[in-house]
Amino acid sequence: MAELLKGKPVVADMKEELSKKIEEFKSRGINPKLGVIRVGARPDDLYYEGSIKKTCGGIGLEFEVFEFPEDVKQEDFEKSLKDIVNSKDIHGILMFAPLPKHLDEPKIRALIPVEKDVDCLTIGSAGKVFADDPTGFPPCTPTACMEIINHYGIDLQGKHAVVLGRSLVVGKPMAVLLLRENATVTICHSRTKDLPEVCKEADILVAAVGQPRMVNADYVKEGQVVIDVGINEDPDNPGKFCGDVDTQSVEPLVDKLAPSPGGVGGVTTVVLAKHVVKACEMQTT
Amino acid sequence: MTAKVISGKEVAAEIRADLKKWVEELKGKGIHPGLGVILVGEDPASVSYVTSKSQGCEEIGIFDDLIRVPADTSEEEVLNMVEKMNNDPKYSGILVQLPLPDHIDEEKVVNAIAPEKDVDGFHPVNQGLLLRGEPCPLPCTAYGVQKMLMVSGNDPSGKHVVICGRSNIVGKPLAAMMMQKAEGGNATVTVVHTGTKDPAYYTKQADILVAAMGKPEAITADMVKDGAIVIDVGVNRIDDPSKKKGFRLVGDVEYDPVAEKASYITPVPGGVGPMTVTMLLYNTVECAERIGQAK
Repeated sequence: MAELLKGKPVVADMKEELSKKIEEFKSRGINPKLGVIRVGARPDDLYYEGSIKKTCGGIGLEFEVFEFPEDVKQEDFEKSLKDIVNSKDIHGILMFAPLPKHLDEPKIRALIPVEKDVDCLTIGSAGKVFADDPTGFPPCTPTACMEIINHYGIDLQGKHAVVLGRSLVVGKPMAVLLLRENATVTICHSRTKDLPEVCKEADILVAAVGQPRMVNADYVKEGQVVIDVGINEDPDNPGKFCGDVDTQSVEPLVDKLAPSPGGVGGVTTVVLAKHVVKACEMQTT
Repeated sequence: MTAKVISGKEVAAEIRADLKKWVEELKGKGIHPGLGVILVGEDPASVSYVTSKSQGCEEIGIFDDLIRVPADTSEEEVLNMVEKMNNDPKYSGILVQLPLPDHIDEEKVVNAIAPEKDVDGFHPVNQGLLLRGEPCPLPCTAYGVQKMLMVSGNDPSGKHVVICGRSNIVGKPLAAMMMQKAEGGNATVTVVHTGTKDPAYYTKQADILVAAMGKPEAITADMVKDGAIVIDVGVNRIDDPSKKKGFRLVGDVEYDPVAEKASYITPVPGGVGPMTVTMLLYNTVECAERIGQAK
């Protein structure tokens, strides 16, 4: 049976470290703060907002939600957003996306200064991530995968990492982050021939394809580390979630498995907090 | 099997012929592409590059302007020249020839170029757009490799592309382009580099093998699968007393034995090299069209 790489211990360690850092900032009269921008009130956004609030509360990170009506006008939204993002008291910005269709989202995203862009919403941040510039923040989810990999002491040097999925928020930045750690990286996707065979080649397999339980016993082999990034509505259990990995069939075969739920997902909000603290560090020194 | 040679010279000539027509069309719409080149100092290799760029502009019928300034020009002056070109609509493309003298911060200068005129595709905004798969000027060498594959009938879609080298100017941009859900992409991509254990294990799996690590003749026949398509980005000088200049140019691939095994191969010189300047011209024309449409 695979060792389960659970998110909780990772979260606990990260929170402890972050609490200390925030404490230090406060002792110097600096209050690290995250600003959350929400337009409308989608249930998904509210759910995520709730978990961010909980995370921030647990480590003493200040947090403010700026709520806008769903029919907010482009002009008004831009004006308010500028004031928020340029406030010296706010060190990191998270904006829930996608925005309502009547808004020019690329234009609005571009208003977020790269140094406060803690979840890689801007083109400028994506460019920095691509060029391995440490002042650009990668999206939180692939960073959470790296936190899990590091926490459990999984060596990437010279290992073959296979990323299943090429999305903007996970697959592509994940490939860049793995390359930085000297893994040999393969990206595969829906157009890949013999997808199960390619996945079997991996020492470390990151599943980020958004297909419930697609990765089953045919995709894995003994000795592998499997990271499940997927969060899908479970087709067999309405109202519940499941990952991209069929845990039941994969768990007996592989060496280690970060399950979903219970793995990467929970770490994501703490990564967000970590980025805010780092952003605060960069802005105040 | 003996490989068919993909001649960069021939592909480049075809693209230039197409560019000429495209430029005519744009001019008909009142869009006049133009390239501004800034050369600081007298580095002979740089002089030769910018000369071939100017010739290319002439060939496809676009305006070009070469500003040559002495090596002791200050960073501020270079930044001012860039700023002027940014604001001048007669330039659809701006190129600052690298490397710059040590007293000038290259990153600062590259970042000062307006992203929509950055024909090298090195501006952080363009790198971000590239990673996201949005329209932008693509880094010329990687773009040249993609064109050579497409023109020779070797669409990477569904193929396993193995790229040796992870530089920000070739390896990484090419990886991003090859994996993209777009024409000329859709490949399964593996990036192999100096940290890779047993590179041959991966290169032997390649349907399309791209050598871009800058190591003379490092890809040997035993590292290549029968029938693979081999693209050689490397340009290395190695000593050769039998040559007048005392050296010859070789790629990152050991050409003759690999050509026996591959289905397609690019030579060095005459392969990817001639494509790079051509794709710079391509970007200049494409930027003009994009800027024209945005108006």
